[in-house]
Amino acid sequence: MRRILVLVTVLSFLYSSALSQTRLVSGRVVGANNEPVPNASVTIKGTTTGTTTKADGTFSLQAPEGAILLISSVGFSDLEVSLDNASLIQLRPTGQDLSEVLVVAYGTARKSTFTGTTAQISSKEIENRPLINVNNALTGVAPGIQTTAGGGQPGTGPSIRIRGFGSINASNDPLYVVDGVPYDGSIANLNVNDIETISVLKDAASAALYGSRAANGVVMVTTKKGRRNTTRFTLGVTQGISSRAIPEYDRVNAFEYYPLMWEALRNALAYSGTTPLPTASQNATNTIFNQLRYNPFNVPNNEIVDVNGKINPNAKLKWADDLDWTDELLRLGNRQDYSMVLSGGAQKTDYFLSLGYTDEKGFIIRSDYRRITGRMNINSQPVNWFRTGVNISGTITKSNQASDDGSTSYVNPFYGTRTIASIYPVYAHDPVTGEYLLDATGKRYYDLGANRPVYNGRHPIQETKLNENNFKRNVLSARAYGELIFTPWLKFTTNISTDITDNLNATYENKIVGDGAPGGRARRRATKTTSYTFNQLLNFSQKFGNHSIEALVGHENYDYTYNFLDGFRNGQIVDGVSELANFTTTSTLNSYVDRATIESWLSRVNYSFNDKYLLSASYRRDGNSRFSDKVRWGNFWSVGAGWRVDQEEFMNPVTWVDQLKLRASYGTVGNDNGIGLYPFRALYNIASNASEPGFLQASFENKDLSWEVNKQFDIGIDFGLFGNRLTGTIEYFNRQSDNLLFEVPLPISTGILSVWKNVGSMFNRGVEIQLAGDVIRNKEFSWNVNVNWTTFRNEITKLPDGQVEIISGTKKLMVGRSIYDFWLREWYGVDPNDGSALYRMDIYNASNTRIIDKGATKDSVTTTSNNGRYHYNGSAIPDFYGGITNTFRYKNFELSILINYQVGGKVYDATYATLMHPGTYGTALHVDALKRWQNPGDVTDVPRMDNAQVGIYNAQSDRFLTDASFLNLRAVNLIYQLPAKLLGKIQAQSGRVFISGENLALISARKGMNVGQTFTGVTSNVYVPARIVSAGINVSF
Amino acid sequence: MKKIFANIFLVSLLGLSVSSCKKDYLETFPTDQVASDEVFGTTINAWGAINGIHRSLYVQYLGNQDQGGISGNMIYMDVMGEDLVMTDRANGWFVGEYQWLSHRNANSRVPYFNYYIFYRVIANANMIIGNVDNAEGPEADKKAIKGQAYAYRAWAHFNLVQLFGERYVAGGANDGPGVPLMLTTTTEGQPRATVAEVYAQIHKDLDEAIDLLTGYDRANKSHLNVNVAKGIKARVALTQQNWALAAQLANEARQGYSLMSNAQYMEGFNDYTNPEWIWGVHQQADQQTYFYSFFAYMSCNFNSTNIRGNPKAINSALYDKITDTDIRKQLWDPTGANTDFPIPPHTASTRKPYMNRKFRVADPNISIGDVPLMRAAEMYLIEAEALARAGQDAEAAQVLFELANKRDPDYTLSTNTGDDLIEEIMIQRRVELWGEGFRWYDLKRLNLPLDRTGANHDPTLARVLEIPAGDKQWQFLIPQDEINANKNVVQNPL
Repeated sequence: MRRILVLVTVLSFLYSSALSQTRLVSGRVVGANNEPVPNASVTIKGTTTGTTTKADGTFSLQAPEGAILLISSVGFSDLEVSLDNASLIQLRPTGQDLSEVLVVAYGTARKSTFTGTTAQISSKEIENRPLINVNNALTGVAPGIQTTAGGGQPGTGPSIRIRGFGSINASNDPLYVVDGVPYDGSIANLNVNDIETISVLKDAASAALYGSRAANGVVMVTTKKGRRNTTRFTLGVTQGISSRAIPEYDRVNAFEYYPLMWEALRNALAYSGTTPLPTASQNATNTIFNQLRYNPFNVPNNEIVDVNGKINPNAKLKWADDLDWTDELLRLGNRQDYSMVLSGGAQKTDYFLSLGYTDEKGFIIRSDYRRITGRMNINSQPVNWFRTGVNISGTITKSNQASDDGSTSYVNPFYGTRTIASIYPVYAHDPVTGEYLLDATGKRYYDLGANRPVYNGRHPIQETKLNENNFKRNVLSARAYGELIFTPWLKFTTNISTDITDNLNATYENKIVGDGAPGGRARRRATKTTSYTFNQLLNFSQKFGNHSIEALVGHENYDYTYNFLDGFRNGQIVDGVSELANFTTTSTLNSYVDRATIESWLSRVNYSFNDKYLLSASYRRDGNSRFSDKVRWGNFWSVGAGWRVDQEEFMNPVTWVDQLKLRASYGTVGNDNGIGLYPFRALYNIASNASEPGFLQASFENKDLSWEVNKQFDIGIDFGLFGNRLTGTIEYFNRQSDNLLFEVPLPISTGILSVWKNVGSMFNRGVEIQLAGDVIRNKEFSWNVNVNWTTFRNEITKLPDGQVEIISGTKKLMVGRSIYDFWLREWYGVDPNDGSALYRMDIYNASNTRIIDKGATKDSVTTTSNNGRYHYNGSAIPDFYGGITNTFRYKNFELSILINYQVGGKVYDATYATLMHPGTYGTALHVDALKRWQNPGDVTDVPRMDNAQVGIYNAQSDRFLTDASFLNLRAVNLIYQLPAKLLGKIQAQSGRVFISGENLALISARKGMNVGQTFTGVTSNVYVPARIVSAGINVSF
Repeated sequence: MKKIFANIFLVSLLGLSVSSCKKDYLETFPTDQVASDEVFGTTINAWGAINGIHRSLYVQYLGNQDQGGISGNMIYMDVMGEDLVMTDRANGWFVGEYQWLSHRNANSRVPYFNYYIFYRVIANANMIIGNVDNAEGPEADKKAIKGQAYAYRAWAHFNLVQLFGERYVAGGANDGPGVPLMLTTTTEGQPRATVAEVYAQIHKDLDEAIDLLTGYDRANKSHLNVNVAKGIKARVALTQQNWALAAQLANEARQGYSLMSNAQYMEGFNDYTNPEWIWGVHQQADQQTYFYSFFAYMSCNFNSTNIRGNPKAINSALYDKITDTDIRKQLWDPTGANTDFPIPPHTASTRKPYMNRKFRVADPNISIGDVPLMRAAEMYLIEAEALARAGQDAEAAQVLFELANKRDPDYTLSTNTGDDLIEEIMIQRRVELWGEGFRWYDLKRLNLPLDRTGANHDPTLARVLEIPAGDKQWQFLIPQDEINANKNVVQNPL
């Protein structure tokens, strides 16, 4: 973390002015290395009078005798200095100081007196990173926050989980709150440059005021404001390049592939069949071409592989230059970001105007993201008793998206290029000469593979080039408030806000190749999301001697509407136009409107005695339209307590302890997300029979259905030691999920597959540690280390009645197990005698059971995966995870390195499993296939190649479970603060240049494995994360 | 002054907030779904409930590409027999079923789907049977709606018991496990009734349906009229080896339906207005089933990866038994080189020997087409078979002649008797109903083995060429999800 010592030197001169009793105060604000801190705001507390520091850090202003100066600068905690006692003061960057102001539900809190737990990330920590999506800023920076690796699809970010996994069937996503209001838009709409803080509310004491939506934690994003009495104009430009951060798996080349597949054929005849080995070998030599159907070599089809399984030594590739399927799909991506901010304020008004343009071209062709953002945030206090403001932002996004949503769909560029064997050319070639074939216009054309055993008639490159898949999104967000200040201790605030997203998704599938051929087809999907939040809040804050009380009561309405319109048509009329009018036949035309509402009453009381003993309580009552009138009103509450031990007199002798606070909280919050909007109603779907109106039964009624309850307990200790050189937090949390929203399976014979019920319980218990320390701290050089570490245990404690176990994919849910415990057939190994894959046997069956004599014991195994026994083997949940940030500062240079890591846990590498087939003709093979069993006596873990065993030898089993530990060099930034001299020449106040890199290196158990792709620990063919290297400049005037 | 202003402001804001909190503020409803009680308010809406069942026969199930409605079951029944030949792996659809693997895997989507589609029909029928009497509207409508619901419930239980239950043996106790009988709307799982009990209930429902549907003049052939109910009963009787009943009802069921002409025979089997169709799915363009429709796998010309690589073919041995003058001989191309056979307009399309052109789509870009669920020809064949098996050879030959002569003008009245006659009828049945989803049911009801030998099946692709008659593999496994959620159900022999 950037830790700077800000030195404020105040040189004061006394003016003898009998009337005003003011004097001119001037001073200089500097950092740890005596570098100036320009643009810091200096105001007289309790007034709107103030100024900002110049490029050299100096300021001067008129201040009344006895006044207190409030000094603030982006990235640092605010500091209060008395005129008499202001010669040398230490300021700390946000995040490390107990005097820091935290953004919490419906307001702010001082960290020193806060009894909950939040992780707050300031703009300073993210402003130099090339981030398009806010979620990317959360990886590795704080304990308790777990993120996926995220994808490379432009504009996207990772998924986020806070303190484990609270729900089984409902959503685990946190609630997003932007500028105080739950946000229904995409978090990608936000310009990261506009963000002042990201505050992650982790426990009930922080989040309970969001009631029935807060169980999975809350991510609060607060945008920037202008500073009064300043004017600042900032320009920023960032340019970067992107490429794939995770390389492709190592796969065998054509010379290796043909002999391996020869073996697959030979062994299918000889081992799985009854053909004698020599005959089978001869057959395989003669006919392997008939299976693979392409001969990339300049030797006859029946001489590619000899009867010993060796490639013909004379074989040379006929289309060696045309085997790289990624060549035309991959490109060097780039990322450009331009921002312009005008901010500042007059005496009674502040403003923040920002304009941003982001243009990203992904490293896969036809994937890009262009976003224009604008924001206007104006706050004004025209009279003492009234304050008002409006924060309006608009985002216009246009994006082409690579088709990676179907892991095994032919248009998915990652699937196609990864799994096509290394013998098939991209373009059509003369099968004899190997020459490129040319079309009527003399151009090469793509080989659609009429004869190819895989991707027959398909072509990922051509389809990607000819198809369209894009969206256009227009977003308007507005927040407005009015605040009446009756007395200094009582104010009334009303907020009204709206978020509107218009999204138009357009797809087109071409006439030449793929699902759209031969007619061509197109879809247009228009959706509009509109949400309103309207609240009225009464705030009370007063001190009575040593007693300080803050209270809040309020009422809130939330109203969400979703409009959907979808049209899909076939039969393109003229080429080049993909709008629906240009098609002949309507295949789908549909629209609907969804609505959800919440009404709430809320209150909070904070009490502190002498700033030493802290108590807080909050309460929210939510009525939620997702649940029936019988149960829709629910109560959510929290209590918290804190003790600032450092304030006790008995701590005075302990000089090395600067800060010490103990705190604990307990509360209940709810989860209503991911269950649809009408889960309790008995409904029929509309299902018309041709032109006759029709309905099909869709659901049974459950009027008792209610939200999922999270009971959260948190206990922690915050400390600062050795002159705050070492600060940290240690916490224990227990998140108990009850009344889990379970989509309880019904007997299929009832005709309805499931019904939502509140059954089941689960807990997440864990420990979080965050430590920050200045290893070296001197004028010229500082080195700061910030480490965070989280471990948690997830365990199911109750399942629906009658459901002893629920098997879903690679997992099985049982009481006493975690939500992501792997349940897979047990791989035993390879029989050295014949290379058979062996699985631990389930049921004895003479035809496929083998007894392995291990001397003292005998193991019963089977050669057919269908009879393989399932067992638990590990979990996708890591033993621990976290991040390490090292920040080095030397003079005007700052280097920061963020590493995020995970230790333990397993990943089912399904993409690797696809490449480890025992002989699917035409499908690529991983180089590990070269270690396959070949001759009796071979000891290996890769079974024999055998086409007859496809699906059996590579069946889903724990063979493909891999250690999920990783170390990711997530972000590196090198910043140079431009010297004042240089800045002065252009009248700039501050400026910096920086270079940064994201996802620079990943260490994991297997090259190519997207280890952090999912929380469930299963890989698939998706747009892998991007590595971004960028450089930028930012200058303020 | 400032206080007064503030108070007015405050009160007006509170007023605003109160006005937005009317009682119905928290009552929200979907706009693309209908509440159950509304469905049975009137007969007009209740018609919707029966139309929904018709529609359930051509919607995608469980997101699976091979399960576009009843056609999924039909294709399974053929790929698991010997008369339909998979010519290549293509993109892999139906290979696991062709290999007799999927239906014996309790976790596979195949038992699940076959179980679910029919129980979903039953559940919807039960809602109608239980509620339609209270709907407002004409009695005649209620009869027609309820009659169809009974017919559907019988048809669905009948398919289920054939797939999952033990084979029905005439004269036997038939007290082995059939399938759960679902006769009311419930969330409680029921135990498996015996095979005999299931068949008894099927007859009860069919008799109810025949009674209620007599006199009902349907709007189109996607609806079930009394002929359909009788046709189903004929199938049930045939399966129970009740020859007299089967012959009688098959005869009654086809009354009013004429056999199609040879010209119509070559039109692609995709139009339910064909005079021979008694019951069929009718699909319109905006209710597409894309790559999961019947025609996405069974037609010769829809442009799907599956058809391009794996056009479906007939068993060459069966093909060789068709006379040259039979119109049906033209449905398959033994050479794989006949360019008169339409294939998808795509450079990657392949032709395979013995591929079919029985099923075709009108537009190779759109997979829609009507799917035949019951044709008069089947009723002729049931009647002929039942008569022959009952020993009434002359009558059987005559019924057969009416059909066979229509297809082959050179066909003369059969002089075969006994087993030869039965064999001749069965060959006619296999040729006539190829691809329409009968073969596996036929093999099971007749207690025959699967025998794919001596024909054009690729042993590698097929995995199994022979399954003995009466093997445990003739019962689908009960889906694991049913066993997990319904403690009353026991699994079939593993």
